[in-house]
Amino acid sequence: MPHHVVRRLVLIGLMVVVAALITVINPVFLTSGNLLKLLQEAAQTGIIAVGFTFVMITAGIDMSIGGVVAVTSMVCINFLHYTKVPVPMLAAISLLVGATTGFINGWFITRHKLPEFIVTLATRSILMGLALVIAVKDSAGFVQNVYIQNEGYLWFGSQGAFGIYRTTFAFILLGVGAQVFLRHTRTGTNIYATGANPTAAKLSGIDTDRTTIGVYMFSGVCASIAAVFISSRMMTAMPELGIGSEMDVIASVVIGGTAFSGGTGDVWGTMLGALFLALIKNGILKTGISPWIQPIAIGGIIVITVIVDVWQKRASERRAAKAKLRRLEAEAAAAAAAVQAV
Amino acid sequence: MSSSIDANAKNSGNLLECRSVTKSYSGHVVLDAVDFSVRPGEVHALVGENGAGKSTLIKIVTGATLRDSGDIIYEGKVVPIQHARRDAEELGIAVIYQELSLIPGMTVAQNIFLGKEPLLKGLGLIDGKRMNAMAAELIARYDFPLKPTDLIDTISIAGRQLVEILKALSGKASIMIMDEPTSSLTKTEVELLFRIIATLKAEGISVLYISHRMEEVYALSDRVTVLRDGKLVKVLDKEDISPAEIIRLMIGHKLDETAVQHQLACKDGPVVLEVRGLTSVGKFQDLSFDLHEGEILGIGGLVGSGRTELVRALYGIDSFDTGTIRYLGKPWTPSVRASITHGIGFIPEERRLQGILATQSITRNIGIASLDHIAPRGIVKIREEDRRSVQGIELLNVKPPRPEQFVGNLSGGNQQKVVLAKWLVRDLKLIFIDEPTVGIDIGAKEEIYDHIRKLASSGVSVVLVSSDLPELTRLSDRVLVLRQGKFFKEYKECTLTGEKILRAASGILEDDNV
Repeated sequence: MPHHVVRRLVLIGLMVVVAALITVINPVFLTSGNLLKLLQEAAQTGIIAVGFTFVMITAGIDMSIGGVVAVTSMVCINFLHYTKVPVPMLAAISLLVGATTGFINGWFITRHKLPEFIVTLATRSILMGLALVIAVKDSAGFVQNVYIQNEGYLWFGSQGAFGIYRTTFAFILLGVGAQVFLRHTRTGTNIYATGANPTAAKLSGIDTDRTTIGVYMFSGVCASIAAVFISSRMMTAMPELGIGSEMDVIASVVIGGTAFSGGTGDVWGTMLGALFLALIKNGILKTGISPWIQPIAIGGIIVITVIVDVWQKRASERRAAKAKLRRLEAEAAAAAAAVQAV
Repeated sequence: MSSSIDANAKNSGNLLECRSVTKSYSGHVVLDAVDFSVRPGEVHALVGENGAGKSTLIKIVTGATLRDSGDIIYEGKVVPIQHARRDAEELGIAVIYQELSLIPGMTVAQNIFLGKEPLLKGLGLIDGKRMNAMAAELIARYDFPLKPTDLIDTISIAGRQLVEILKALSGKASIMIMDEPTSSLTKTEVELLFRIIATLKAEGISVLYISHRMEEVYALSDRVTVLRDGKLVKVLDKEDISPAEIIRLMIGHKLDETAVQHQLACKDGPVVLEVRGLTSVGKFQDLSFDLHEGEILGIGGLVGSGRTELVRALYGIDSFDTGTIRYLGKPWTPSVRASITHGIGFIPEERRLQGILATQSITRNIGIASLDHIAPRGIVKIREEDRRSVQGIELLNVKPPRPEQFVGNLSGGNQQKVVLAKWLVRDLKLIFIDEPTVGIDIGAKEEIYDHIRKLASSGVSVVLVSSDLPELTRLSDRVLVLRQGKFFKEYKECTLTGEKILRAASGILEDDNV
């Protein structure tokens, strides 16, 4: 069985075990209300992580996603507070925030050959400030908490068929679409090629710069989509929304099997990773462990996952070297036998 | 003018013709008015020592580099100076790179059709079935042991090379350039490659073959072009090709350098390093030798023969699998830290990447390997560091002799002197030196040779790895030639020429036992 399939099965097995453990400690875990919320949590992180997966497959990183969430939600709040823009149009405007940020990120990375990390960290900071600047203020200049009352907008964060949150539906739709795109279109192939071996990709006639700009734009758009769903569900938003979500997103993608070195991974893995992370977070709450443990657990999970992957890679390289040696020895033996025969 | 060239080109019957192609990098001429031609459907080998200009010529033909002057005529048409990679591809010039340029994690078919995948009508989705069928058809045509759905990660290096070949054949290819295609293949894999070359030839595709290995060049080629120091030496026709002749032409009449015979003399002082049966899977096998006090042991061989891997393992950078080492009579497990404290030094092959701290001063660079003396309790004694730095600069005549100078701003020769100084200020017993004079001007080279000799005469044992044949013959007391991870030949107490080393490294046994 290929390694990534084994890896995935292990992850699913682990989730079953963890879920069983939590249920034993607190049966409330297994109620439909809790499970629906868990899925919704996974979806909120997962939507951002889908875009992030594309970026990581090209061997890049996008630290600006939290900033995009913050600014997008502030833009939405402003429009809802001051105008009567129809909701579909507002949704389109919000996506523009992510797309623009992504384009700027990609442009600096490709045209000016700047390191991805630095560029996106800088845009993150700029967006965080921007979110504060455009936040709705009261007469004293303090950030005002605006409650969203627009029914159309609140539809996004509400529950749909079978009580499943619309966020969850959106996540599944986006994930499946992204996976099909990645595996079955030329652009998808180009994304893998750009991350695995940019020189080879260029020699095969792939425009790696355009591909790179494209994935950052998609990552931004995903963050904007998430912002709409999150603010709709919370019925409000603050300028800090989304800041710090990078960690959860990175954890989901890494647990899902996409490597920082690029060229490998897929959206299925990321979707599982987001679910795993939501399960752990939910479990920490439901078992009564201090919620302060959450960030420690997430950091720990990232480190353990990366260590296991590195071990695995070394072991397989070693196996390959040994196999080659055996082949060489077999050939030498055959040659010796041939000499003997003569 | 160009019309007359066109007329000539048509008459010559060559597929590719280069006329007095010249290229220089910052004043240094690497190709000097080279004439070169490939006929349709022939296998043509391009040979020469490292730095003879082979790769530059290939780069110019494939559009990876622009030529300074000279004409290139392809299929009877003049190729413009502004000839880019993509133009070359459109002309049908395909290259199989030494560094494989495939995408791991993708299938054979995906790699073959990368960037030109067949699409389903309307949707813009890739037609995976048709792509696999097209790949299967190509594979069947050349009878390769591949499956379209195999993942690149799971197939051997040889298999990957076949994929590269198919990738080139899936487009238009009338000439296929193979740069050192066999450097990492096993014997059966090489045989398969030879069969493929024959098939290509039968289809009328020309193959331009670059290799260090004489027996291959001998077995395959219809013609051989020999380059030396950026100049065309000779074009040999099939009936004139012999390995010995090719090597003679490659080395040429550099009488002052290579042809001068060097008398090797064994040092029979006490054994400093005793290596028995050293094996590192996939790198080198079953290596045994003794190194005596004050001896310079040269290690020759082609790039990739395991030379660098051997010295890295002995110094303790990489681990090995089996074998024993004794150092100064005691069992020894190499580790970098233990090596440094026990008087073993190491000069790595890539000076800029592994040897120097470019953004640090000469003083820091010299001090970095002596922190046990300079900072015994963790705090750097500036005065001691300065003292050693001044000592090193004087000892090796580093220019400019300014301790605070950033090493990145020094010339290559002076950078290497700093690397050497780093070890000379220590109490040294043994030093591994890998390619000490790559990219260094001739004057600094001689100075470095003097220092290596002085080191040896003061009782330090030296293991010298070098691709520079005159360097190896002039400095060494004894030479071991590695070939494919094993010692192929030992030269001691005899007269040695660069030619002999090159023969051994290429796998040719001497008839005359000297």
